[in-house]
Amino acid sequence: MKDPSKSLGANLQTHKTQSTAEQTMERLIFSLSELENLGQTLISGHTNFNHSSKTYLRITLGTLQIRRGAILRYHPTQQNLDVVAVTPDEIFPPVPVEPDELTALLQHAFIENAAPPEPLKHFFDRSAKLAEVIDIRLWVPLKIQDEFLGMIGLGKFLARDALEAWEKELLTTLAHQISIAIAYSQMVEGIQSEKFRLFMLAESAPQICQLLQPEEAAEQVVHQAVSLLDANAGALMLTNTDRQELEMNYAFPETLLEQTTTSPGSGNGRFISYGENASIPEELTSIDMLKSVVTEGLPGHCLPESDTLFGGRNLMAVPIPGRDGDILGILVVGDKEERGGRIAAFTDEDVILLDSFAKQAGVAIENARLHQEALEARQLQAEMEEARKIQENLIPDRLPDIPGYEVAGHYEPRGAVGGDYYDCIALPTGRWGLAIADVSGKGMQAALLMATLRAGLISELSRVKNIATENVEQNASTQGPLYTEIADMAMTLNSLLYASGTEEKYATFFYSHLNPETDILTTLNAGHNPPLLVRKDGTYKWLGEEVGGIPLGMFPNDMVSNIAEYEAEHVELMSGDVVVYYTDGVTETVNIEDDYYDEERLVEASIACKDEDAEGIRASLHKAVMDFQGEADQFDDLTLLILRKK
Amino acid sequence: MLNKFDIQIREGQEHAVIETAGYLNDALGEKLSEKARELIQNGHTQLVINLEKTTLINSIGISILIEIIEALEEREGTLNFCGLSATQERTFKMMALAKYAGIFPDEESAIANL
Repeated sequence: MKDPSKSLGANLQTHKTQSTAEQTMERLIFSLSELENLGQTLISGHTNFNHSSKTYLRITLGTLQIRRGAILRYHPTQQNLDVVAVTPDEIFPPVPVEPDELTALLQHAFIENAAPPEPLKHFFDRSAKLAEVIDIRLWVPLKIQDEFLGMIGLGKFLARDALEAWEKELLTTLAHQISIAIAYSQMVEGIQSEKFRLFMLAESAPQICQLLQPEEAAEQVVHQAVSLLDANAGALMLTNTDRQELEMNYAFPETLLEQTTTSPGSGNGRFISYGENASIPEELTSIDMLKSVVTEGLPGHCLPESDTLFGGRNLMAVPIPGRDGDILGILVVGDKEERGGRIAAFTDEDVILLDSFAKQAGVAIENARLHQEALEARQLQAEMEEARKIQENLIPDRLPDIPGYEVAGHYEPRGAVGGDYYDCIALPTGRWGLAIADVSGKGMQAALLMATLRAGLISELSRVKNIATENVEQNASTQGPLYTEIADMAMTLNSLLYASGTEEKYATFFYSHLNPETDILTTLNAGHNPPLLVRKDGTYKWLGEEVGGIPLGMFPNDMVSNIAEYEAEHVELMSGDVVVYYTDGVTETVNIEDDYYDEERLVEASIACKDEDAEGIRASLHKAVMDFQGEADQFDDLTLLILRKK
Repeated sequence: MLNKFDIQIREGQEHAVIETAGYLNDALGEKLSEKARELIQNGHTQLVINLEKTTLINSIGISILIEIIEALEEREGTLNFCGLSATQERTFKMMALAKYAGIFPDEESAIANL
């Protein structure tokens, strides 16, 4: 590239000796050479006009033999002219341009600084400082068709007062080249931005869909949306369909969360109710706009002046669709920025872009949720297995031989761990404690509650002495020591379970105290299904049906006394009598037609097999229940304990 | 990390490292551009931009990085990036930044390859 100053010097040196025609010819050759340089600059690959504008200015000034000048670039969004290149190198503030001035600027090819047209007088006042420092004589508007792109300001012409006609033609060509460079730069910037956005859209989809933690997915969804839309803020709000509320799940910057705190139902930005009562007025606030996005399932946006949600940002929001067509939430971005830190309005293309991204975000959010649910299910499964092992260890492997009696038990876990328990415990002095219980809840907590109940029962039975020393006469009265001791034991167990669990954790419990010498069976019912006593003659009765308390662990002891005290009763067993203990898994077994097995069928089946031995009765009853169930699913444990007087 | 932005400069004898932290948008980008301009004017034409603490970049941030590359190219300087995430690295390749600037995993190797 030629050095214009050298060429200029050469021109001056030969000024005296060369004819005007020769000088003109030499300058024309130089100008052609500089025009080539201008073209080279244009296609050099430098995309940023502001960066190459100094080269354009240098070539223009050198070509026209002008010492000072400036190139100003117009920014339509901020409606001002930025001084992007200036000789001498000084910093000048942008010059605002009014819309009517823009029209006037487009109408002129050249404007004399000393004689501005009437509509541009104020503009010239505003640019007076720049004009003064550079000593601007001539302004050249830069434009392509009707688009105003900027201006060239030219200082004092060397050794002449005005440009010659051919110089003006040359200047017109230079100005056109510079206009093309600005337009090209704008176009490349636009293409780069779109290329970036499309790449980010394509790149972000697989990336966010691979995130398995819901929190991480939410964070990345917001970050990617903010980056994609050149926004300065963003938020993910998820729907709570039960409360008909949008809840802020993640916000960027995170200080937004602090600005929009407090509680559900407050409608303050972090929680936004969109239920029936949440009406949407005609004049939309930001919150109204967000409500309408989730209720109508369509994108929305509002301007900064709407209100002050998220610090008064201009917001755009789109719904996040789920697989089933439901709306998982909304994705919000705010403050779309432009170069120079200005905040721009979101465009229709922005809406389409964010809407496309929100569809991918929906997949990502659902993926993360499904993964989380699968993890929790696996964890629950493992817990169930553990609980099952604990529970099975609490059920006796084999039942003891009781003189004069037969016992048989059946425990069949079905589906989730329910917490059934039975036991037959040898007491000192040859008495026996028979217990059956059904612990509420499922999983580990139920298993631990059952373990607590069993430990408490064994402890109580070993500690309470009177239980082992009762006699028939004493038992004739409800005030007898055995009755009292059994009722006290129930209260102790109630207290133990109440202290170890929540309100939902309780156990139905039936205890029988058997004295094989007297054949007296003293019983206490704490909310359990009444066992069935079938006499040898085929008559039957329910034990503990009329005298019974509430399940253990449901209420504290002082409340139990007020509701229904635990009371014992007794029955004398005869040869051939059978007691069928069971849990609700037996009577609540359902068949394919959704009928319950119920107590009536249990009575029929028990009477039908009463003459078998205990093991035979157990097997027959189990078969009867299974036959009834048929192909139907069963979710509760099935437990039977049979006591038969030989 | 993303909510705050910050720029740290580490000047060596023949090179300088600019480390950014936060969202590389217009605000942080302009600061970065200003620092880069100062360093270039002071004769540092061997630059490393460490983006390890910048996990989020928008299109304006990208355009500012392109400008820095162009400014250095004019001075026949060199720019290397380091600390990029996998996505950032792919973005830089796609946006042709990687054509004019090196990409290295860490600051040490980025400096060594200036």
